[in-house]
Amino acid sequence: MLFASILIVTGFLAVEQQEVFRELSPSGWALSWALLALYVLPVVLLIYVLDLYEREPVSLMVGAFLWGAVAATTLAAYANEGWGLVVARLGGPEFASRWTAVLTAPLVEEVLKLSGVVLLALIATDEFDDVLDGLVYGALCGLGFAVVEDVFYFVSVFGGTPTGVLAGFWVRVLSSGLYGHVLYTGLAGMGVAYFVSRRDEEPFGRRLAVAVGLVAAGLAGHVLWNSPLLDTFPSRVDDVGDLLQIPLAAALKGLPLLAFVVVLVRLARRRERMWLGSALRSEVGSEGLTAVELSVLLDPVARRRSRRDMRRRAGDRAVRVLRRLQREQVNLAMVRARATDEDDPAIAAQRAYCRSLRDALAAIPGAAPAAHDSASG
Amino acid sequence: MSAPKLPRSGAALLPTVVVAVTIGAVVFGGYAVGGALSRPAGPPVGVAGAVAIQPLSGWEPAGRFDEPAGVRLTRGAGNLDVVAVPFTGDAEALAGEYVRTVLEPGAERLSVSRRVEHVRTASGLPGARIAYVGLFGRALTPIEGEITAIVSPSGVGVVTDGWGPEGVLRYIRGDVRAMTDAAEVA
Repeated sequence: MLFASILIVTGFLAVEQQEVFRELSPSGWALSWALLALYVLPVVLLIYVLDLYEREPVSLMVGAFLWGAVAATTLAAYANEGWGLVVARLGGPEFASRWTAVLTAPLVEEVLKLSGVVLLALIATDEFDDVLDGLVYGALCGLGFAVVEDVFYFVSVFGGTPTGVLAGFWVRVLSSGLYGHVLYTGLAGMGVAYFVSRRDEEPFGRRLAVAVGLVAAGLAGHVLWNSPLLDTFPSRVDDVGDLLQIPLAAALKGLPLLAFVVVLVRLARRRERMWLGSALRSEVGSEGLTAVELSVLLDPVARRRSRRDMRRRAGDRAVRVLRRLQREQVNLAMVRARATDEDDPAIAAQRAYCRSLRDALAAIPGAAPAAHDSASG
Repeated sequence: MSAPKLPRSGAALLPTVVVAVTIGAVVFGGYAVGGALSRPAGPPVGVAGAVAIQPLSGWEPAGRFDEPAGVRLTRGAGNLDVVAVPFTGDAEALAGEYVRTVLEPGAERLSVSRRVEHVRTASGLPGARIAYVGLFGRALTPIEGEITAIVSPSGVGVVTDGWGPEGVLRYIRGDVRAMTDAAEVA
């Protein structure tokens, strides 16, 4: 209720704000959104496939993106103004114009984005069953925020002319798009998911410490990005050398955090694979899963290869069924994890469903050898 | 996948309340703290017996000028010019007059917002508010500012012009508006 209410109220304000940008520069505004769409689509895809085994519900993913794009940006614009006044009161307007971006903006923006991820975790706790789930929701929330903030910068700071928008796109997306809000909130989301998903494994204090640590890491990355520390961006752009200096300067500030997130993702994926293996090992030999199917399931490269081979032999329809079979076998692990005992009817039903998908696959001309391969263990 | 769950018990609602309070504190807290830090300081400053403005803490009178009669208050790089003239038109016309006679002659380049915000002061006088950016002075310093024009029924026109170097205006706007809002116009 709170999530939806805030989203609706801020939605009206966000639309009004976009109207202002459109009036200021209709062509620049349209170009901004067109260019940002080119950035958003591959990033969403990348985030979507990060979670190898359990794709998150699209409705929640859209909710996370909208929270970042609509609620967090609108509330942050208002809040940053207020806390900027405090900095100005304490240090004077000149000090505030230099330091508010470091002293208050990161905290304000990270708290507001994180609030959306926490609300999602409260609404759909069961969907936060691993650290990677939090990364997906957090990163999407950060992406939404980044996109709307970019439109603001393209139109207001870079002038809103087509040349200005292209310059903004070079600076903020092509040079810096790998870092920024996607990483900060991705890390915070991992913290939320760690806290929520490890209730049965870790004591409260440890879960809280890890969650706070991950949120703080994202916040620290944001503070570093906004601060004059390690700032090697050119003060003005006069030639191609200056243009090329921008991505290097962005990498100097952003790469360490990106590397940190990549390491965390690899660890989380390894843990997820181990969990899947242990959850499904006892299913091998049941009607839901064979030994070969399990080995393919646990190896992302083998999964992709099995689908490629299937497409070559039996076409797209067979690939769709194979993909469905593999997804439902992952779901079999989820059903097992949630079941209270081995005789839970939900487990039997899921096994039967997997069996029916395997039968359907075998019935497709040309798919049988692959089906046989995957079922022969 | 399971259906989304709504918090049902008091214990489940508690985290939602904590999030709501956190959002409220972050969004409105700055204004509350900033307001508490901002208090009237020193005696009101008058212009031509037509308007009296109460400086807030940190703001100091920096000088007076004629043609039109006015006073400048400063706080660091932020400035507030207050001028008073006899005027019989409406507030929007006064704002336009100020742009033509005061801003344009001193500006190398000037861009004034097309949107006019209609406001009302604490004493109920209607006003017109516009923003501008431009390059001023020999050094062509980029300046941004916000003008509020007020016309009283007795024919006094008052313009408050809060301005500062690029990036500073947003940090003085609150004070400038508060002082304008509380201005006593004859």
